[in-house]
Amino acid sequence: MSINFLENVFNLIISLDKSLIVIILLSLKTSLLALLIATLLSLPVGSYLVFYNNKFQYFIILMSNTFMGLPPVVLGLLIYILISKSGIFGFLNILYTPSAMILSQTLLIIPIIISLTYEEIYKKNKKYNILLNSLNLNNYSKAKTLIYESRYALITVILTGYGRASAEVGAILIVGGNINNYTRVMTTTIANETNKGNIEIAVLLGIILLIISLIITLIIRSIRKLY
Amino acid sequence: MKILPLKVNNLNYLINENFILKNINLSINDENITIILGNNGAGKSSLLNALHDLIKVPKNTITWNNLPTSSIKIMQSMVFQTPILFNRSVYDNLDYIKNKKKVLSKYCVEKIIEKLNIKNIENINAKYLSGGEKQKVSIGMALIGEPKIIFLDEPTSHLDPQYKHEIENIIKVISTNGIKVIMTSHDVSQIKRIGEEIIFLNKGEIIYHNSIKKFINASHCDIIKNYIMYG
Repeated sequence: MSINFLENVFNLIISLDKSLIVIILLSLKTSLLALLIATLLSLPVGSYLVFYNNKFQYFIILMSNTFMGLPPVVLGLLIYILISKSGIFGFLNILYTPSAMILSQTLLIIPIIISLTYEEIYKKNKKYNILLNSLNLNNYSKAKTLIYESRYALITVILTGYGRASAEVGAILIVGGNINNYTRVMTTTIANETNKGNIEIAVLLGIILLIISLIITLIIRSIRKLY
Repeated sequence: MKILPLKVNNLNYLINENFILKNINLSINDENITIILGNNGAGKSSLLNALHDLIKVPKNTITWNNLPTSSIKIMQSMVFQTPILFNRSVYDNLDYIKNKKKVLSKYCVEKIIEKLNIKNIENINAKYLSGGEKQKVSIGMALIGEPKIIFLDEPTSHLDPQYKHEIENIIKVISTNGIKVIMTSHDVSQIKRIGEEIIFLNKGEIIYHNSIKKFINASHCDIIKNYIMYG
């Protein structure tokens, strides 16, 4: 790595041009929206699952654990098949749009948030179950209490989901198409620019991703101190 | 509303085909302190749980003034052997119970704090309290909503003599305020200090049920004799 190379990266950081800002903002927008949707769907599901001990609960937990390890490109391919013109959701016309990227990121992190939420709420339910039953609470009230009592751990869960969404390349490359100024995000740009030999831009975006990751890690560490 | 007499008719409770409670028949009429005694695994906590509807039992097995437990559960509270407190301040723990029990009285939390003399710890997170303080807060939580009956599952088993004395005094005050107290204990000296009615369980069966005076003076079978001797 030459001095000249580092100088180029430094100059890029200083002169952060408009197209790079668009890429960074789109990355944040898709990841955060996916995180919001996935959290709203997964937190209640993961929490309610602790109150049931049947085949349905077993199936959801099994599927969540299985899909946690799903290769993103496989998920991207599946979504591509479903939303392409000939797919059953083709009428939505969302292929190669940010919406498709948000959809893939959401589906990618839902199993993570369900599984990790279930684990946290299960631990808290073990501790508080007898008191909550003594108070004769319904499952809704119990879930609200357990979510509140697991609040610090659940913030960590949500940030873990964000980390997964923001690092995603494979699925969003397939369903987003990496279109300049429209569906191009940091991770796909890194892959693209590296292929083109523009290593400086790739390194710059890599640094920004690392900084975001560092911020998330610092937040998680400070939240853990609150336990 | 009167909730006594408590009647238990042929209560059986099994886990994996083993009797935890066997053929329990019981009648309790007085608003005093009833203590359930017995060795480990005798079924004391299970009996409390059954009386508090935490264990489901067949209909009409347990009745309170002819009503099933489910209809009067709102008038019951329970204090557990290991205090179960939320990760929030003492005040917020009490306030949580107030909200869940839908207590309308505006100052009920403040009154409980004053009654139990815990003003000095009201803003401290419950996780930082000592064992005795935690148990006092648990009792405070149980007192919210003016219950007619309080179950205490070995409430002083983890406490030092000073806190044990303090908790015993609180239990006596609760009882004199017209609240029926049913508790479990291992401590024979404690039973003599605060007990008024004794139920002795052995392997899930009641083998003795009478007043404390009669319990102390009566001649007992070997199981109870040994229990008193080593208790």
